[in-house]
Amino acid sequence: MAGTGKRRWLEITGNTGRPDWCLISFAIIGGMLVLLPLLALINITLGQLADIPYLITVATQKQVVDCILLTFGAGLLAVIILLVFGTPLSYVLARTESRLNQVVESLIDLPLVLPHTVAGLMVYILFMQRGLIGAPLKGMGIVFEDAFPGIVVAMLFVAMPFYINSVREGFQKVPVHYENVARTLGATRFQAFIFIVLPSSVRHIFNGCILAWGRAISEFAAVIMIAYYPMVISTLIFYRFTTGGIKESSAVAFVMIVACFVVFLALRSVTRYLGRYDDRV
Amino acid sequence: MIEFDRVSIALGDFLLDEVSLSIKKEDYYCIMGPSGAGKTIVLEAIAGLLVPDDGRILYNGVDVRGIPPEKRRIGLVYQDYSLFPHMNVQKNIAFGMRMRHLPDHEITSRVRQLMRQFGIEHIASRAPLTLSGGEQQRVAIARALAIEPELLLLDEPLSALDPVTREQFIDELRTIHRDQGLTIVHVTHDRRDAVSLGTRMAMIIDGRLVQEDRVGTIFSSPHGEQVARFIGYENILNGTVTSCDGGVCLVDIGGMREVAVVAGAKRGARVALCIRADNITVFKTDGKETSARNLFSGPIIRKSVSGSLATITVNIGVEITALVTSKSAEELDLDIGVTVGISFKATSVHLIHKPTPV
Repeated sequence: MAGTGKRRWLEITGNTGRPDWCLISFAIIGGMLVLLPLLALINITLGQLADIPYLITVATQKQVVDCILLTFGAGLLAVIILLVFGTPLSYVLARTESRLNQVVESLIDLPLVLPHTVAGLMVYILFMQRGLIGAPLKGMGIVFEDAFPGIVVAMLFVAMPFYINSVREGFQKVPVHYENVARTLGATRFQAFIFIVLPSSVRHIFNGCILAWGRAISEFAAVIMIAYYPMVISTLIFYRFTTGGIKESSAVAFVMIVACFVVFLALRSVTRYLGRYDDRV
Repeated sequence: MIEFDRVSIALGDFLLDEVSLSIKKEDYYCIMGPSGAGKTIVLEAIAGLLVPDDGRILYNGVDVRGIPPEKRRIGLVYQDYSLFPHMNVQKNIAFGMRMRHLPDHEITSRVRQLMRQFGIEHIASRAPLTLSGGEQQRVAIARALAIEPELLLLDEPLSALDPVTREQFIDELRTIHRDQGLTIVHVTHDRRDAVSLGTRMAMIIDGRLVQEDRVGTIFSSPHGEQVARFIGYENILNGTVTSCDGGVCLVDIGGMREVAVVAGAKRGARVALCIRADNITVFKTDGKETSARNLFSGPIIRKSVSGSLATITVNIGVEITALVTSKSAEELDLDIGVTVGISFKATSVHLIHKPTPV
């Protein structure tokens, strides 16, 4: 784009027409890092494509399909819970300034810095059948240990910071002036939030959902602490790895890679223009 | 219409300190003051977005504490326009009427009428962020007027516009004020806005109301040096009254120089003399000293030309700034180092009494 000072790839020359050695050397150094996922991806893909019939057998196994659906479904539920509870919390954090905010924010960020086994253990102790929350809910017939709800709470716990931080940042970027003007025009506080703040931060909310969902479906350690069964895809891959070896586990892994790729691509293309209000940007 | 009765609002480190002012119906009321003086806070308090910590805000004589902004029917336009980015121009203008649940056909016809009035029909379905500053400004004002407010609040509406658009806008605002009999409160730090639009104004400096009066009155007789400086008195000289006789007082401004002013002070009083640069006449002395009243001479120490006017500063013991046309500056060879004479009438000196030290 003109005027932004950004340059296209392969156009790394300075304004004088001479090569911009700063950008070029940085690109070479940084490129090393990109090699890692790229090589890993090519490596696993080539291995799988060598035996396509086997790959198809694995991909159509009921257990594999069920695990992927279970994982995606549990992740989705965790995201929905975040949408309902995390959105209001993010707004409060975005619009207030107090010492309490710092406390709340560090609590939310806790799963980011904790080893996930620790996070899983904390969730387990809270939600197990004798746990502080698990016990009373067991009376109502809801069990978390080795059950779907257990997977969802573990995912919720680790995905929370990704959603809250993204959405809070989105809300912070909506000028308070918008809300003030909306109120003078006749909107109540709630209406100003619903008609002005929410639509202005759609993009951040969506990004928060994708990040949180991605984090949720990739969770392993925290999930197995509370629910080894029903198996999420990570558990299945680990199980196949320890019992069947590399060939079996990498086939399942490859199926998961393809499934994730398709889902993310679909989401991104559907929402490409979501929340963009200025085509010049 | 709006009255502030010793209103105090503390926001972080800032304090709006016991401000009392009164905005009358159909006033074009300018609130002027340096950046960070608390002008926008006054607007937000009028709109009900901020509630006074102390004091009362009266709307037609009634205390409005507890009435939320959405029930006040006051239009607000911020300096950054604050158009809703996810709505096109039409929807922005219609927003207030939608919130007030007006019937659709009424909304459509009023939106169309406002877009015609502001000449923005051709951008009806454009996104706000793709518009120019002037266009955004028009949309923002149309949106505020759509709710038929009794009072329109404008926060530095002209500061981000280019000079041509700015002049157009001053005309448009004048028309809105005159034709619709709308009461307008206009916050600005630019004295040109106040002079060309305002009927009455308030000067707010450091969270305090320093002066409130008709615009002309404030510009001809500012209270205090700060106000004088802010509304454009280039020369403010401190001195002491030495004698008063026959309608004229003499003020010692240091450096053995005395200035004659129209009487109105006591002997020994400490005063500040305010003289506008364009009230000072500059002439050639050919090196001779002069001794007549309010006639001084000294070398030119600074000169700056902008367009058809030149500002020159003459050191007569104190520094005096004068405004001359570039043409006469050239004809009189007014250059740095040249000794010139300056003079001004006693009646063009505005006298400000300073508090006597205890």
